[in-house]
Amino acid sequence: MKILPMTELRSLLATVADHGKQHLVEVEADLLQTTFLLSEAIEKLGVSFMAVHEAVTLQQSVLNSLMMNHQFDADEAKKLEEFKNKIGEEVNAAVTGLQFQDLTSQLLARTIKRVNGLKDLLNELGNHSDGIDPEHEHEEIAKFLDEMSHSLHAGSRALSGGLRRSVDQQNMSTGDIELF
Amino acid sequence: MAKTILAVDDSGSLRQMVAFSLKAAGYDVVQAVDGQDGLDKAKEKTVDLVLTDQNMPIMDGLTLIKNLRELGSYQNVPILMLTTESSDEMKAKGKAAGANGWLVKPFDPKRLIEVVQKVIGS
Repeated sequence: MKILPMTELRSLLATVADHGKQHLVEVEADLLQTTFLLSEAIEKLGVSFMAVHEAVTLQQSVLNSLMMNHQFDADEAKKLEEFKNKIGEEVNAAVTGLQFQDLTSQLLARTIKRVNGLKDLLNELGNHSDGIDPEHEHEEIAKFLDEMSHSLHAGSRALSGGLRRSVDQQNMSTGDIELF
Repeated sequence: MAKTILAVDDSGSLRQMVAFSLKAAGYDVVQAVDGQDGLDKAKEKTVDLVLTDQNMPIMDGLTLIKNLRELGSYQNVPILMLTTESSDEMKAKGKAAGANGWLVKPFDPKRLIEVVQKVIGS
């Protein structure tokens, strides 16, 4: 009877599972750190944005007061009005840009879920490898591997099903508006 | 008297930008961190407009809308979704739940204010 190298196969499955899990743990740690850094960044940007806006608003009030009480020539008044409009446009652009963290954090959360799902699949692979006995008949082992394959497919399908894509945006251009 | 808008979103930065834009246009803004918080705050005080995200922990936007529409005081209050979701399927679900409009993130403050003014006035 032909002897199957089951000990080696079991060892290979366990090694694949262990190495895969180690890499995924690193990936997960990097993603969590990225999420944290983005969160910190947006908080600081938000605070600075609000402070700059408040200062500019106060500056504008002073300018308005000066314009009421002093004679400005037409060119200077026009320039001030142009600056005011430019600031308004840039504030709007900044408000749009500052929404990046909402989109990226959703994508990162989805990626972290997928990484965790992959870790579960590798655990499944490692667990299956424990049950392979070199004394089993060839058919029994084939059945066992088939069951493992089905189990991995089912896990993969469940993972994909629970990870519906909620962010399709490819850039920070503003989205559509539809009134019903 | 300024009209009040309830802004529901689990993202703090998004809520900050929505509140900033609406307040600059003269509206009062009440903020909520998820659908359940939104529902609780909506019950405390009837607002003039609800602007809600879809994907949130505890209670999502569609469930919030369904719950609000079951309250007598919110049967005719405009509700707009402001979400990253842009599929026709999700929009149809929103419409069926009782949403009056769908805005896809990221939003442009000027356009947001135009829509709000169109729906509830200045």
